[in-house]
Amino acid sequence: MIYLPIAEMPVNVLLVLLVSGGVGFVSGLVGVGGGFIMTPALIFLGVPAPVAVATGASQIAATSFSGIMTQTRRKNVDWRMGLLLSIGGIAGSAMGVWLFERLLRLGQLDLIISILYLFLLSGVGFLMLSETYSLWRGRTTSGVSILRRPARTVAHTLPFRIAFPRSGLYISVIPPLVLGFAIGALAAIMGIGGGFILIPAMIYLLRMPTHVVVGTSLFQVLIVSSLVVILQSAATQTVDLVLAALLMLGGVVGAQFGARIGAGLKNEHIRGLLGLLLIAASAKFLFDLVIPPEEPYVLGGGLW
Amino acid sequence: MKRFMAALAFLAVASGASAQQPSDPLNELPAAVAEEQITVSSDYRGSYITVFGVNPDRRGRGDIVVVVRGPNESAVIMRKRNFYGLWINGDPVEFAQAPTFFAVLSNRPLRQIANAQSIWEHQLDPAASAQLASAVPDGADPSAYRRALVRLRYAQGLYQSYDGRIRPGERGGLTMYQGGLFRAVVRLPANAPIAQYSADTYLFRDGRLISSQRIPITISRVGIERRIHDLATNASWLYGIVTVLLALAAGWAAALIFRRT
Repeated sequence: MIYLPIAEMPVNVLLVLLVSGGVGFVSGLVGVGGGFIMTPALIFLGVPAPVAVATGASQIAATSFSGIMTQTRRKNVDWRMGLLLSIGGIAGSAMGVWLFERLLRLGQLDLIISILYLFLLSGVGFLMLSETYSLWRGRTTSGVSILRRPARTVAHTLPFRIAFPRSGLYISVIPPLVLGFAIGALAAIMGIGGGFILIPAMIYLLRMPTHVVVGTSLFQVLIVSSLVVILQSAATQTVDLVLAALLMLGGVVGAQFGARIGAGLKNEHIRGLLGLLLIAASAKFLFDLVIPPEEPYVLGGGLW
Repeated sequence: MKRFMAALAFLAVASGASAQQPSDPLNELPAAVAEEQITVSSDYRGSYITVFGVNPDRRGRGDIVVVVRGPNESAVIMRKRNFYGLWINGDPVEFAQAPTFFAVLSNRPLRQIANAQSIWEHQLDPAASAQLASAVPDGADPSAYRRALVRLRYAQGLYQSYDGRIRPGERGGLTMYQGGLFRAVVRLPANAPIAQYSADTYLFRDGRLISSQRIPITISRVGIERRIHDLATNASWLYGIVTVLLALAAGWAAALIFRRT
């Protein structure tokens, strides 16, 4: 047991390491960031939701930094695009932290986090399940090819177009800024990196070549999550350094093992299982929202 | 017989004096707290507060009440409302003052010891210290909010009461020994705020307060817990930057270690 100085609660060190290691393992296995599993897992462990969200961001910063080191070596980062996404992300996360702080004072933060996770987890869960199902039926080889890439998107018609040599694009700066802003705001409120939203958007909306997508999105996630940690520390004091250290240790080690095992494994079944798990977790959030409460009154207004 | 009369006279004087001046040193309730300093370090899992005392009445007449209080702070209670099928928090009501921790222990049920008015007056009930600061929404009952605050804090273990009935398996409680000696044990859960507390001991006889005493208890962070908390509250920007640097170091170390193996 170790006492968390900010969450003001004792937690079982082994349990937290096991959970963060497990989440890291799954994220390495399937190739997702894992923030959207880590934060709900912490909430289920009894960590106050504001602390779970703000502290989760530091673990995302750690994993995205270790990922980006590998990607830079392979020259898979479009720095110009990454910078634009990050500028949008900085504005978005600043607004997200401001909103987070307002909702916390109003006593509505836990509710908003529950609702956002309900949609996010069920959405991602169904996507993963349907992907597994269509593979199982043998229709397509990959979920990505279900959607056709449009030749021209809104990114090509809007003004302020500039060249992105590494991606081989000549598109408007507005879509990357808006996209970065939206991901930044979600990252601040939900404690996610947002890669699993950012990556499809970069492929289908911005039409970036796939080899630069992962590295560039990691760059944006790194900048945004680092900023979220600093802003949350300053505005709401909900970042728990001890919990963060445990999450980094478990998450980083778990992800490496997951990636190693995942490399030699067909992961359609794992994705299907993860999809089921996410739907189960979202069902828990849904039940808590719709079942008439036994205790109609709640404490609120303070930090938690 | 002479001695008995003298003792009776002394008692009459003493109780007469105490009616005007409850903290008369002649009749002060001798009490002490075993843990006047409680430290919170990284292995903190809550604590116990033990209050010892002696009933000055040689024949052990009177009732003992021990109250351990945390600081009063403002609190907000909200009521869940159904909003298109979802239960959302609404109708906030603010309390200007409410005890953050409150444990009341007595040798028999409090209502048999003192009447409702003096329970309220001496704040022997957590609800007595909770002051509403804002008006309640239309049609709502202010006392329902007060009861809800007390109920929720009881559920969190932050409010406790013990009225002399033995509850097996629980360490907390008030035990009376021979010679008027008593011992009160309060479980301080890990979620209780880290602050300045006080332990009050009260001696009641025939429903009247005879004497009382207050002993301060300090709960404070020490070591690394203190340093982290101080940094997070006093230098929150620096704290955020330190956390990010730690994250970058962890990510960098992971990338290095796992590339080699």
